[in-house]
Amino acid sequence: MADVKTAGTEVKDLRLERIGAHSHIRGLGLDDALEARMQGQGMVGQMSARKAAGIVVTMIKEGKIAGRAVLLAGAPGTGKTAIAMGMAQALGEDVPFTMIAGSEIFSLEMSKTEALTQAFRRSIGVRIKEETEIIEGEVVEIVIERPSTDPGRDKAGRTGRLCLKTTDMETEFDLGQKMIEALQKEKVTVGDVITIDKANGKINKIGRSFSKSKDFDATSQNVRFVQTPDGELQKRKEVVHTVSLHEIDVINSRQQGFLALFSGDIGEIKSEVREQIDARVAEWREEGKAEIVPGVLFIDEVHMLDIECFSWMNRALETQLAPVVVMASNRGISRIRGTQDKSPHGIPIDLLDRLIIIATESYSPKELQRILQIRCEEEDVEMDEEALKTLTALGSKTSLRYVLQLITTSSIVAQKRKSSMVEKLDIKKVYGLFCDVQRSTEYLRSHEKEFLFSDFGGRTGDAEMQDAGMALD
Amino acid sequence: MARPWEKHAKFTLEAPKTCLIQGGRRKVHASYHGGIECVEEYDVITDKLLVRKWRMESRLGGEGRWDHEVGTEGLAPSSDFLVESTANPLVTRIDTDKLFEWRIRNLPYPKETYEVSVDRFEIVVRTTNKKYFKRLLVGDMARRGMALESDALTWNHAHNTLVVSYVKPRKILEEEAAATKERLAMKAMRM
Repeated sequence: MADVKTAGTEVKDLRLERIGAHSHIRGLGLDDALEARMQGQGMVGQMSARKAAGIVVTMIKEGKIAGRAVLLAGAPGTGKTAIAMGMAQALGEDVPFTMIAGSEIFSLEMSKTEALTQAFRRSIGVRIKEETEIIEGEVVEIVIERPSTDPGRDKAGRTGRLCLKTTDMETEFDLGQKMIEALQKEKVTVGDVITIDKANGKINKIGRSFSKSKDFDATSQNVRFVQTPDGELQKRKEVVHTVSLHEIDVINSRQQGFLALFSGDIGEIKSEVREQIDARVAEWREEGKAEIVPGVLFIDEVHMLDIECFSWMNRALETQLAPVVVMASNRGISRIRGTQDKSPHGIPIDLLDRLIIIATESYSPKELQRILQIRCEEEDVEMDEEALKTLTALGSKTSLRYVLQLITTSSIVAQKRKSSMVEKLDIKKVYGLFCDVQRSTEYLRSHEKEFLFSDFGGRTGDAEMQDAGMALD
Repeated sequence: MARPWEKHAKFTLEAPKTCLIQGGRRKVHASYHGGIECVEEYDVITDKLLVRKWRMESRLGGEGRWDHEVGTEGLAPSSDFLVESTANPLVTRIDTDKLFEWRIRNLPYPKETYEVSVDRFEIVVRTTNKKYFKRLLVGDMARRGMALESDALTWNHAHNTLVVSYVKPRKILEEEAAATKERLAMKAMRM
C-alpha cells in the first residue's frame, strides 16, 4: 500500500485477532482421486471420515442430492466440527453453508419448528440478477487518517477519503471504518479500477488502469489492464448475486407502512408468505430468471434437539426445497430429549434410518503431534522439540482440547520468561496451573466435603447460614 | 437499465389517485400498473411542484427505494458504507411555471469551463478540466417521447452555482394546466 497516506503518528498495530479453534482449516485435504492425504489443508488423520465427507461434497457439487442427511458420530474431540468446516471450505463461497448448534433453536422469540424452518431456508440460495447501484472508477487517491494514537480507540475512530475518477469526472468520498477495512483487505492502490456496490459495500477489483502500465513496479503476471471507465461514476447495473430463501421471506413479510407499528415483531414468518415465495421462486426457475442453489445446513450437538424437532425433520427432509443436512453427535446410546426412551446418538431410529453415518475415531499420538504443530503455527507460537513431545504425551493421557489450551497459555509464560520459544518447563508450569477434567474430578472426590451441595454429605447453604447466626425460617 | 418512468410511456391522468393535504402541502399519490407509484407534493397556496418521486417493487418482493425526480428530499446519503463528500457538487431540480430548472452547487470553476448540451432526453453538463460530468434526465419529456432541443436550453453560472434552464414546450404546459385543474377538483383528505 505504498500510495496510502496515513496522517497522524504511526502506531504499532496491536490488533489481537481472535483466532477460533478451527481457523486453521482450509479444506478437507483430499487429492483429485478423493484420497485423503495424511495431512492437508489443515486437516490431520481421520482418513476414512474425510474421504466419506469428500464423497458427500462431490455429490452436493454435482447437484445429485438434496434433502439428504449425514451424521458425523464420534467421541468428543475427534474432529467432527473440523470436518464440517472442511466441507464448507471445499464447497466454496457460492454454496450457502449455515452452521447452528442444537441448543440454538430453543428461543423465547420463536417456536422450535420456526427456528428450524428458518435454518433450513437459510441454507437454500437463489441466484438471481438484480439491479444495483454501483460506483465504478479508477482510484486517484486514498487517504486514511488515524485521529488518536491510542490503539484501543484506534479502530473505531478511523476516517478517510477516497477519490475516484472516470475519463469525464472525479469525485471524493468520505470513508467509514467498514469501508476502510474492505479497501485494505482487497489491497486497493492508486491506479486500480474498482467497483463498489452501494447496497452492501462490496468492493470488486476489475484491473489496473492502462495509464499505470508504464510504471514498472513489481506487478505480477496476473495483472489485467483495463480502460478507465467513462461517463458518470454512479451507474445502475444488473448484478448476479445469491440470496437465501430466508432473506426473501424476510423482505416480503415486513409489514409495510404504519401497520408495522401495530404488529409487534414476533420473528415468526407466516406460512402463507412462505408458500407465496415458493410459488414465485418456482416461476422464476421456469422462466429462467433464477437458479436454485441448494446448500448445506450443519447442526452441531444434534442430540440437544427433542422428539418434536426430529419428527418435524423427518417430514422436512422430504420436501422439494430441502438442503443437505449434516449433523454431529457425540452421544452414545442416550435418552432422546422429550421422551424417556434411549436411542443411539440420542436420535430416534426412524430418523437414523434416513441418515448416512460417518464415524470418527480418536487420534493416534502421531496425528496428535501433527495437529499440535499446525495449531502452534496458526497461533504464532514457537515450540521446541521436547516441549512438543511432552505436549503430545499429555494429549494422549488427557484430551486434545486440554493441550490445545496449553499452547497459548504456555506461550504467554514463555514470553514472561523473555524467551521466544516455548520449552518443557513452560509446559510443566501451565500443566500445574490449569487442571484437566480428570484431575479436577479427582480433586473433587477427595475434597467433596468442603464443597457446597455435594452428594456425599457436604455443607449446604442452610448450614452455613446457621453458622453465621442467621436462622432460616 | 432505465426505470419505467424514465422511458416513453403513458403515465397520465388515468391512474387511480388519492389526494391528501398535510403540513401545508397537497400530496397526490398515483398507482400505476406493475407496482409503480408516484407521489407529488404541491404547495397548498402557490400550487408549486415541490416534490416528485417514484417507486417500484424490488425484484425480490420488498418495497423499492424512492427515486427523487424533483425536489430536495432525496439528497441525504443513502448508503452507510460510502458517502459523498459534502464538498462535492450537488444537483437540485425545482421547476418554475415556464421552465424546468436545475441548480448545481459547489462548482467553483469559471464560467468558461462548462459545456452544457442536449442529448435526446438528457441535458449533459461537462467541464473542460474533466472534473465534473452529469447527465440530467428530463423525465417529463422522456415520458412523452419528446426529444430536447438546444434552442430551449439556457444556462448561467454565478456564486459557485450553475443554473440550467429549459423552456417547457407548449404541449407540456397544456397538460400541466389540465392536471392542475383535475388536482384541485379532487376530493382531498385533510390531516
